[in-house]
Amino acid sequence: MSSIVDNKEMTLSSGTPAVKQKRYWRSLDQLAETPEFKKIVAKEFPNGTSELNDPVSRRKFMGIMGASVALAGLASCRRPVQKIVPYVIAPDNLVPGKAQYYATAMPFGLSAFGLLVESHEGRPTKIEGNTLHPSTLGSTSAQMQSMTLSLYDPDRIGSVSLDGVDQSWDDFVKFWRDEFSTYKAASGQGIAILTESHNSPTMASLAKRWKKMFPKAPWVAYESVSDENIYAGLAAVTGQESLPNFHYDKADVVLALDSDFLQRDSESVIAARGFADGRRVTSEKDSMNRLYVAESLFTLTGGMADHRLRVASTEIAAFALALAGELKRQGLTIAGLSSQAMSFAGSKKKWLEVVAKDLMKSRGKSLVVAGRRQPAAVHSLVVAINNALGNIGETVDYHAAPDALFPNRDGLADLTAKMNAGEISTLIIADGNPVYNAPSDLNFAEALKKVGTVIRLGNSNDETAGAANWVLPMAHFLESWGDTRSTDGTLAITQPLIEPLYDGRSPIEVISLLLGGRETPGYELVRKTLRGVTGKTNFEAHWERTLHDGLLKNSATDPLALKVKSDALQNVLKRYPGQSNAVSNSNLEIVFYDGNLHDGRFANVGWLQELPDPITKLTWDNAVLMSPATAKRLGVDNTDVVTLKIGAKALDAPVWVMPGQADNSLALAVGYGRVAAGTVGSSVGVDVAALRTMSTFNFASGVTASSTGKNYPLSSSQDHGSMEDRPLIREATLAEYRQSPTFAPDMVETPPLASLWNDFKYDTGYQWGMAIDLNVCTGCNACTIACQSENNIAIVGKEQVGKGREMHWMRMDRYFIGEEDDPQMAQQPMACQQCETAPCEQVCPVAATNHDKEGLNVMVYNRCIGTRYYSNNCPYKVRRFNFFNYTKDTPEVTKMAMNPDVTVRSRGVMEKCTYCTQRISGAKLAAKKENRLVADGEIMSACQQACPTKAIVFGNILDPNSEVAKLKAQNRNYEIFAEINTRPRTSYQARLRNPNPELPSVGSEG
Amino acid sequence: MSSAYADQKNVPIDAPLVLGDPTFGDITESVGVITETKAPVMWFLLVGFFASLAAVLGGSVGYLFWEGTGIWGLNVPVAWGWAIVNFVWWVGIGHAGTLISAILFLFRQRWRTAINRFAEAMTIFAIICALVFPMIHVGRVWVVYWTMPFPNQMGMWPNFRSPLLWDVFAVSTYFTVSLLFWYVGLIPDLATLRDRATTKVRKVMLGIFALGWRGSNKQWKHYERAYLILAALATPLVLSVHSVVSFDFAVSQLPGWHTTIFPPYFVAGAIFSGFAMVMTLAIVARKIYHLEHIITINHLDVMNKIMLATSLMVGYAYSCEFFVAWYSGNEFEQFAFINRATGPYAWAYWIMITCNVFIPQFLWSQRVRRSIPIMFVITIFINIGMWFERFVIVVSSLANDFLPSSWGYFTPTVWDVLTYVGTFGLFFTLFLIFLRFLPMVAISEVKGVLPAAKPTHHGHGGDDSHMAKVTAGNS
Repeated sequence: MSSIVDNKEMTLSSGTPAVKQKRYWRSLDQLAETPEFKKIVAKEFPNGTSELNDPVSRRKFMGIMGASVALAGLASCRRPVQKIVPYVIAPDNLVPGKAQYYATAMPFGLSAFGLLVESHEGRPTKIEGNTLHPSTLGSTSAQMQSMTLSLYDPDRIGSVSLDGVDQSWDDFVKFWRDEFSTYKAASGQGIAILTESHNSPTMASLAKRWKKMFPKAPWVAYESVSDENIYAGLAAVTGQESLPNFHYDKADVVLALDSDFLQRDSESVIAARGFADGRRVTSEKDSMNRLYVAESLFTLTGGMADHRLRVASTEIAAFALALAGELKRQGLTIAGLSSQAMSFAGSKKKWLEVVAKDLMKSRGKSLVVAGRRQPAAVHSLVVAINNALGNIGETVDYHAAPDALFPNRDGLADLTAKMNAGEISTLIIADGNPVYNAPSDLNFAEALKKVGTVIRLGNSNDETAGAANWVLPMAHFLESWGDTRSTDGTLAITQPLIEPLYDGRSPIEVISLLLGGRETPGYELVRKTLRGVTGKTNFEAHWERTLHDGLLKNSATDPLALKVKSDALQNVLKRYPGQSNAVSNSNLEIVFYDGNLHDGRFANVGWLQELPDPITKLTWDNAVLMSPATAKRLGVDNTDVVTLKIGAKALDAPVWVMPGQADNSLALAVGYGRVAAGTVGSSVGVDVAALRTMSTFNFASGVTASSTGKNYPLSSSQDHGSMEDRPLIREATLAEYRQSPTFAPDMVETPPLASLWNDFKYDTGYQWGMAIDLNVCTGCNACTIACQSENNIAIVGKEQVGKGREMHWMRMDRYFIGEEDDPQMAQQPMACQQCETAPCEQVCPVAATNHDKEGLNVMVYNRCIGTRYYSNNCPYKVRRFNFFNYTKDTPEVTKMAMNPDVTVRSRGVMEKCTYCTQRISGAKLAAKKENRLVADGEIMSACQQACPTKAIVFGNILDPNSEVAKLKAQNRNYEIFAEINTRPRTSYQARLRNPNPELPSVGSEG
Repeated sequence: MSSAYADQKNVPIDAPLVLGDPTFGDITESVGVITETKAPVMWFLLVGFFASLAAVLGGSVGYLFWEGTGIWGLNVPVAWGWAIVNFVWWVGIGHAGTLISAILFLFRQRWRTAINRFAEAMTIFAIICALVFPMIHVGRVWVVYWTMPFPNQMGMWPNFRSPLLWDVFAVSTYFTVSLLFWYVGLIPDLATLRDRATTKVRKVMLGIFALGWRGSNKQWKHYERAYLILAALATPLVLSVHSVVSFDFAVSQLPGWHTTIFPPYFVAGAIFSGFAMVMTLAIVARKIYHLEHIITINHLDVMNKIMLATSLMVGYAYSCEFFVAWYSGNEFEQFAFINRATGPYAWAYWIMITCNVFIPQFLWSQRVRRSIPIMFVITIFINIGMWFERFVIVVSSLANDFLPSSWGYFTPTVWDVLTYVGTFGLFFTLFLIFLRFLPMVAISEVKGVLPAAKPTHHGHGGDDSHMAKVTAGNS
């Protein structure tokens, strides 16, 4: 693995403050000195030539880009002239064409994700997980992968502005100096700051300074999607704010109540890894964990479930209480639980009994989790249950979070009230987008109008910036210094990979500026904080080591010894949500969930817009999800537009019928329908704001739905969800597996496969192959985006996806099995299978696709004429065709996200997965130079590296000790369509479920 | 004697092939005069109309080249759509000409003389239309020549294992031979026109293309030998070209394509559609140009019988596919065919069955076979049905193949339609030009089947071992 390079290479010229990564810009600066260039810029920006004196601003940047093109046209009419300017002083350790890797950390709410970022000549191009960091363990999620694209977003704002007029940072500093002294004198009366939640020591120290400097000024953290309820519930019964850390690997039995811990919850990457580790089997002798899921909308967690029960989100509270009651009945002592427990009838009762029994059997080795959308009371009860089961300290522990700024919805409500009362004259909104995603009954935008000066630090000209006076460009985390703590307290440094492209400043820099009217570089702030943690002795060594590793070693805190207070639980249960509002035909519920776009902040990231939702397979839209039965009762079908009403509030949205959805429960993703997200994300989908208020923030009952008779086209990447009884995803229960260990290969009778000619032997050298363990693949889509980022895969837009022209090389096939209303779900990653006897190769008339001697089905783009025959003849339909020149309109800045090792394909060319051939070549060259063989695990395909569950393994199948060979030797190994003699190099390990024999199998209950 | 009428009770076994007992001169006059007099206004109107349609083709292709194949309704999985459907359809139509010229010539079907020129011209034009599609449907048209085997600095040859390459050879060979065959057949008639020409330009132009034909006995001897050899060469091509086209599908592994029945099935279908198109055109042309005595109702009757026979063949092929799918025990294959008849493209499948199998059954009735309006309508249905046959094969097989996750649906765009409609413009423009400038009926050959060609004291033809051994030059 090429990720962690040695200490020397890693350190970003640590001696100099405010690291200047001028590698990319230096040449442009020099270019900017040429007279032609100046003339052109002057012509292009007649009023803005003064910009030239500023550091690189966005307009200037675009100007340079535009000018360099224009220059080419002026200097010669025939042929574009491009100037190549050498480094005057070459940066250390930089070999042009050779990637460098730097550790950094991505702050995300109270989480922090340790990353390793690949950088080419000073531009970050690819995100990987940092294997040392406890929140990623080397893996990533789709969102983390897409951070390079969000960095190079052309819609980011490029300069400071006041009421729409461009200003400079100096202007703002000048303005603030006056304000500062006024407010300082008034102890902060009239000022307030609104941020996102942070878990950063530097930010925490700034918050402390804020409190000291402006004792009367509130600091509110608000998140539209967060674990606020979890923290609140936990604090309510333990009396202390803390962050949970789940150890799914240690749990034999997991019960998830409306919780999508494998995909959408805060720490999904390590949750998925832990869960997979508890589930992975190597032979029929192994055991695996068991997952029970009760949820309203189908999630990937529900898809992995051994038993899934459809329960409306509104009823989960009662369900949890009934579980507690059942556990108590079975002899568990839950201090503080009175006998008022709810009960359910029928199959739910039976389900609860069995689950409780299973939990009782695995005390200390079980885990109950509830979803973030459930109210705090449910979380309190869940903590109490885990406590009673002896799980705390085993499968879950809680860590102190002294540096955390917890998100607080009520705080936002208080602040809004103050704003409305005219008590706030200056409001600072640092990041976040409250105008778009604050609860709509707060009327935040209206309240903003009553604030004298709104200072906004943000990425783009979004909804909030539109309502602000001062708009300050914010640096991306890949452009800024910072520090973070992960949920277990591990301290990691956010290290910039590139100088701010758009003259942005990081939140800590800006807040520090606000606190003193003095500009302090983030670099200094972070070093100061770390010095406070490590002490002054030997600080430089600590600093360099921390930058290199991406985290401060041994900085994780010890778990707290929390006591669950019975009286606190009693209090909680007194105000516990009841069963009275159970959903029914006349009382629908709406559930707001976060999809690919999270709270909407990723709306302008094309990769995430085009990434099919793992369950619905919808792209570029959100839709009202409902069960087939509910849709039938309402008389609506896919793409029909319905009006949802809660009281007087109404919202129109298209319908998408989802098998497995709880009846009478509707779900709608947040983060869509933005009006000012940018060129990519504006006006995509519907905004839930109309229905999402303080009281209906997560879900609400009392919804009515009626058809409008209108229709709205939706683009889904997969139209057919049934496997048609074909042996694609082969699956058995653990019991069946033990009985017939070779069930997977036995499912298909493969005739003796003969060949007309002497086959190539493929028995020497490296023979590349891949194994995908379906038993642990959750379908999280990280591989899809990792592949997109690594291989420069184009996005094509909603219309093209609707036509079936999406370009993902690695896609996730999702199938439903069983009844339409309550099916099982299974996911299958599907990319080129690198068939040894590839059907595509034979039919290409110009031999543009061929086999190499290492077993790769290679594609010669510049030979391809685009007959598309090879797609027709591919049984796996993994080839993608450039029907148009999809990359033609890529903005110049976005081109910087491209991987220089991979060709950008143009119109008329067929493309497909290559097993990351560029990585293979790179590793082979490196090994050759060192006169050795490529070691197992040295080459990781992008999908493999990203995979949170390590379901994908790539390597040399001839080496019997390689991971991939060992997986392929397992008895669950099978190849899809082996019977038609394609001899795929990718094989799958069959999926297993571990159902409780006391319950009917999944799909037949509910 | 021709057996074409042998089973026909009320058509005498020796019924004349040309009605009205014309003289050689009458034949020359009635065919030749069309090319010599001023074209009727209608002709100009039609040429104007179809040339505009051809311009639509040009525009559509231009836009296609500018934007890419994305302007069509293609996607993954349906990466081939109307372009390939149209290609196969036009190639199929191009079958009748050579079949009539070559195979019927070898089988001494003398009734062919009335329609062979016509059919051959149609073949040439249909293949031109067909050839448009493989050229333009590729993603990067500017390098389409890479499919040709030619020495190059890249040291690259095309992939000889690819059926698409075989296609390139098969269709281009067929086109070349058909063109030669047509031209060789034209030579005596061009000479006739040359000799009748009154203007200098006509004289020179026709003189060049008549290659100095004098109608001497020696020339006739060589001519007939050459024609026979070309007929013998063309005959296997009739069978091979559509067999090779069918390999595009049969050689792949796609359920619904991967079928050994395809070559004969495609050839039968091609003859079927080719005859239907010849009929469609002939019925109109004979009416407009008053050639009812040359292209007689008896000719049409015989062609109807051939259409009925080929309809039964394709009907058999359709049912055979189902049988083999069931018999193979291959679930993908079975699904492909059940899906055709009941799946998302069932509408196309049943249009195909109705047009190709059900409607031609009317031709069992002699009244239908000899009713111009009814047979005209039937031929139109067959043309439509055969287009849908190719649509069903190409699109429905692709849309629902191995992996249900990738299943899709193909919806044509306006550009698909315009490109297809545009080829009609090209076809009919060429055809109208042909009608105007070249003898649409093989004058010399028709003369060969006149009773006067074989004078006996009985007054009608006896020896039919030779054809067209008549002085065609001056009469």
